[in-house]
Amino acid sequence: MRVLVIGLDCATPQLVFGKWLDELPNIKKLASQGAYGKLKSVIPPITCPAWMCMVTSKPPNRLGVYGFRNRKGNSYKEIRIANSSEIKEKTVWDILSGLGKKSIVVGVPQTFPPKPLNGYLVTSFLTPSTNSQFTYPEDFRNEVLEVAPGYMLDVENFRTDRKDGLLKEIYDMTEKRFKLMNHLLKTKEWDFGMVVEMGPDRMHHAFWKYFDEKHKKYVPGNKYGGEMLRYYRFLDGKIGELLEVIDDDTAVLVVSDHGAKPMKGCLCINEWLIKEGYLKLKSYPSTPTKFGKCEVDWENTKAWGWGGYYSRVFLNVEGREEQGIIPQEKFNEEREELIRKLRAICDPEGRPMNSLVDSPEDIYHDKCEGETADIMAFFDDLYFRAAGTIGHNSIYLEDNDTGPDDAVHDWHGIFAMRKPGAQGKGEVKGISLIDIAPTVLSLMDVGVPKDMVGKVITW
Amino acid sequence: MKRKTTDRKKKYTTVSIPVPLYLKVRGMIEDTGFTSVSDYVTFVLRELIAGTSEDRTKTAFTRADERMVKERLKALGYID
Repeated sequence: MRVLVIGLDCATPQLVFGKWLDELPNIKKLASQGAYGKLKSVIPPITCPAWMCMVTSKPPNRLGVYGFRNRKGNSYKEIRIANSSEIKEKTVWDILSGLGKKSIVVGVPQTFPPKPLNGYLVTSFLTPSTNSQFTYPEDFRNEVLEVAPGYMLDVENFRTDRKDGLLKEIYDMTEKRFKLMNHLLKTKEWDFGMVVEMGPDRMHHAFWKYFDEKHKKYVPGNKYGGEMLRYYRFLDGKIGELLEVIDDDTAVLVVSDHGAKPMKGCLCINEWLIKEGYLKLKSYPSTPTKFGKCEVDWENTKAWGWGGYYSRVFLNVEGREEQGIIPQEKFNEEREELIRKLRAICDPEGRPMNSLVDSPEDIYHDKCEGETADIMAFFDDLYFRAAGTIGHNSIYLEDNDTGPDDAVHDWHGIFAMRKPGAQGKGEVKGISLIDIAPTVLSLMDVGVPKDMVGKVITW
Repeated sequence: MKRKTTDRKKKYTTVSIPVPLYLKVRGMIEDTGFTSVSDYVTFVLRELIAGTSEDRTKTAFTRADERMVKERLKALGYID
């Protein structure tokens, strides 16, 4: 049996299986012929590392990847950017390559620089540009650019107020990606195919406030009110086109790496740490300034934080950081106290936040590879982002400090799957994206490696 | 003589290939300049790897790549 995985970054269950299922005939048919449900993401529920967790069936702590950037050693400011060389675990296509089975892999995040495989690979948006080596084999790039001239790894910038231009770019990107995948499925020999489209994520961040009446910035009758549904219908049509070119002996999965929901605001982690006496600057900036540009008084600083969909907080530890001040023997005590305080942060109206704040060891209950933060903090069930910038004179922000943004991520993505010869099962519960790799291998009659963490989804 | 064996041990190792493939290759190299299947397989692999060695050096994540991806992530608002 062949397997095709269609990945839709950020596609979210309350829209796909809730609000708009009747508007999406191809996904609806697939779900009714097979099984569907909410797919639990990983912690953190972010594109990087989530897709790699999905294709390796390993949690972030096993991959040692905790976001788009990771700390470089014990440096105060240096970071590493997530890339394929950090992934030491085998992906589904690595395993299949070893068995002589052929794969087509398009747009899966964290595949740049491309690694050799038995088949064809096009890297993802985390690639410098299409002038870089973005395919394997290298000369395959010519075919990609011939089939889909102007192939787009991503849009230029989705946190923008230029909405008309952005919409056009997103449609262009999606059109080209599906055109390429369609061509490859038709013309190449393959056993496993996987494509990841970034469009839904870009749409959610840029257009959520226009359709969601519950969003704090929703304006009735706005110009873009119908755009989100229009895009989902477009995507559904593209999925339908892929389904037309595969044979009956192919299992199909439509999945996402995490969901989305409206953003309520930002918590300025470093502003809060200043207020609580953990972080001291030599001079407080007069305008919002990146943490890296601020002059920190390290000799009087106990902790600092990174922003993003969640916050990573680091303690300044003697003998570990260059100018560390927390004695090693006090580390646990200091961390526990800071965790308690972070958990107690209220929202701007003084209401308790439903925040997940813990040490990486307590989040993963296992050894953590790579450079971890000392504390991971997810504020208000993800409704609040974390802002790392300083100079706001407040610990809260209405908007994202890195540009216009309407949405945050949510803990569950989507799962729909049909397989040849199986009856419709309906909704399945308790499944996770870690289960996708073993499910794919099992469908292909390939033994599931014992070190894969997920279970086979079957019925 | 003993020394020669030790040198060879240091320089060579064994890889396994399926027997039918071995027999096919042995048939292929009859009446050619290749005196053994190992010689021929070494030749083929060298040719293959020479063709892709450029790929391999380029597949490192260079500092320039990192700088460009970092800029992209900033433009996308993923990092400040």
